[in-house]
Amino acid sequence: MSQSSLQQPLLSVQNLHWSAQGTSILHDISFAVSAGEFVGIIGPNGAGKSSLLRCLYRKQEADKGLITFADKDIRQYNRNQLAQKMAVVLQESPTDFDLSVLDVIKMGLIPHKSLFESDTPADHQIIQDAIKQVDLCGKENQSFNRLSGGEKQRTVIARAIVQQPQLLLMDEPTNHLDIQHQIEILQLARKLKLTVLLSIHDLNLAATFCDRLLLLNRGQQIAYGPVTEVINQTHLKQVFGVDAEIDRHPFHQGLRITYDLNAEKSCP
Amino acid sequence: MISNNSSSTERLKSLKSLNASHPHWLLILTFGLLLFSVLASIAFGSAQISIGDAFSALVCPLTTEHSCQQQIITNKIIWEIRLPRILIALITGMGLSVAGAVLQTITRNPLADPYLFGISSGAALGAVVIMVMISSSIIGMTLGAFLGSFLAVLLMLMLAGKNAVRVERLLLSGVAVSFMLSAFTSMILYFADPNAAANLLFWMMGSFANTSWPDLIAPTFVIFPSLFIFFSMQRWLGALLAGDESAHTLGIPVNKFRLLVLLMCALMTAVLVAQSGGIGFVGLMIPHIARYLVGANIKRVLLMSCLLGGSFMIWVDVVARSVLAHQVLPIGIVTSAVGSVFFFIILRQRSHSG
Repeated sequence: MSQSSLQQPLLSVQNLHWSAQGTSILHDISFAVSAGEFVGIIGPNGAGKSSLLRCLYRKQEADKGLITFADKDIRQYNRNQLAQKMAVVLQESPTDFDLSVLDVIKMGLIPHKSLFESDTPADHQIIQDAIKQVDLCGKENQSFNRLSGGEKQRTVIARAIVQQPQLLLMDEPTNHLDIQHQIEILQLARKLKLTVLLSIHDLNLAATFCDRLLLLNRGQQIAYGPVTEVINQTHLKQVFGVDAEIDRHPFHQGLRITYDLNAEKSCP
Repeated sequence: MISNNSSSTERLKSLKSLNASHPHWLLILTFGLLLFSVLASIAFGSAQISIGDAFSALVCPLTTEHSCQQQIITNKIIWEIRLPRILIALITGMGLSVAGAVLQTITRNPLADPYLFGISSGAALGAVVIMVMISSSIIGMTLGAFLGSFLAVLLMLMLAGKNAVRVERLLLSGVAVSFMLSAFTSMILYFADPNAAANLLFWMMGSFANTSWPDLIAPTFVIFPSLFIFFSMQRWLGALLAGDESAHTLGIPVNKFRLLVLLMCALMTAVLVAQSGGIGFVGLMIPHIARYLVGANIKRVLLMSCLLGGSFMIWVDVVARSVLAHQVLPIGIVTSAVGSVFFFIILRQRSHSG
């Protein structure tokens, strides 16, 4: 916590526990995210990345521990207030209904609108700006279902922008995308100048794009800190069971992870 | 793909894209159709009345013109027999179609409608129980239908259990409840005396015959406020289409909202079933056509379902009262016949397009 003593963290998680049907899924998680940071959650499948995010956007209530957002317990916000401050980009779910790109993006207005309020010219401006930011101009009336994976993800990000949040949570935004679109989505997310917390599988991309990383394994927090502290051989061996060489990338001086494919599998 | 078919599919596609870019024109057109339907259907019936006479009879109460005195009988037929009947058809069509569109939205299932959910079966059972045991007064039947449809929703939620949040479970338990309640209704019919059973059976098939102005009171006071509430909740309804979790992150209390909508649909269906009996397929078919014409945007789907549903029901009633001489065909038979043909067409189109 010493690093952020000057600036109060926007989001802080203290001793978070969560279990489902008697099985502990998250165990004693503590970390803090300052305003403007880009933080990645990494860990193998089943490490609890999505569960942690779900606790943060209150799809599920933590059993123990405290989550504060802007110095206030998140349980003190009502649904609307929370949705005005925190937008979530989920892995998109398929639907039989043929929504247009604009229909999806417009949903971002919901937390800011009471039931009888209609859209104002200011709202249209916000929507147009969001469309411009994610580079979907001219595709407003296309069917969301028929977009490519990258365009779908950009549509949902535009919806999040329309929500005008302070914090953006993203659950594996690069999943099922080819490498070009993975990079495109991460660059876009960085450009938004929001505080971002995202779960991500690709360690090289995580190391390149994130300011800090939270490493989880089987619901336990293994490490939290700057990329160089979290990505090291010991952690990779301990958590992912892979041997890896870590050096500086020749192009951008970020960390580069090279997996050793010939390492012998050791039986525990 | 067969060549002569492909050209018609192309045409359909271009028509569809044209519609999607001009939904406003389409809505205005459909509104025009609705107005026309109300006026034109006045002229249909066993007494021959021309559209001109029908129209002048409509405006008669507003004027003191001499000619009105001369066609007292025509006026009476129109004001006391045809108009209430047309209006109840209009309200029923609107109510069932919008209830269907809304149920399809909250379950994200294009096949949902009041029938699939057991809401209609519950309403029918409740009304039949009241008819057999107490009386066939409209107030009693409405109350019975009401209790029946709430029972259906309650049973459905109980069956779905803790996982009622899961849409699939909700749908399956709705189907189960529907069959269960229909079985009870059939049992009552089986044990009822033959005369009463025949009456019940005719009522269950749906009819707008013998509607008078007081019959319109309950449906009007339930359907129009419900429509208003659904229209004002269209943002939330639309958000549910993108998934429960996504709706949750937008600040929507998903489960409470879905329960509220279910209960409102139960209320709407109960009032309509008690008044006019069982009328199937409308809540399923009309929202499909609406989405085909204007896309999935919930505001447009609700409006379109409302307008189309009203027109459709008016013409179904026209067919029902004019297809057989001196006899009225039950509405439910006509809607089911039209509905099955409609789904046959959809099926063929789907298998062609992929």
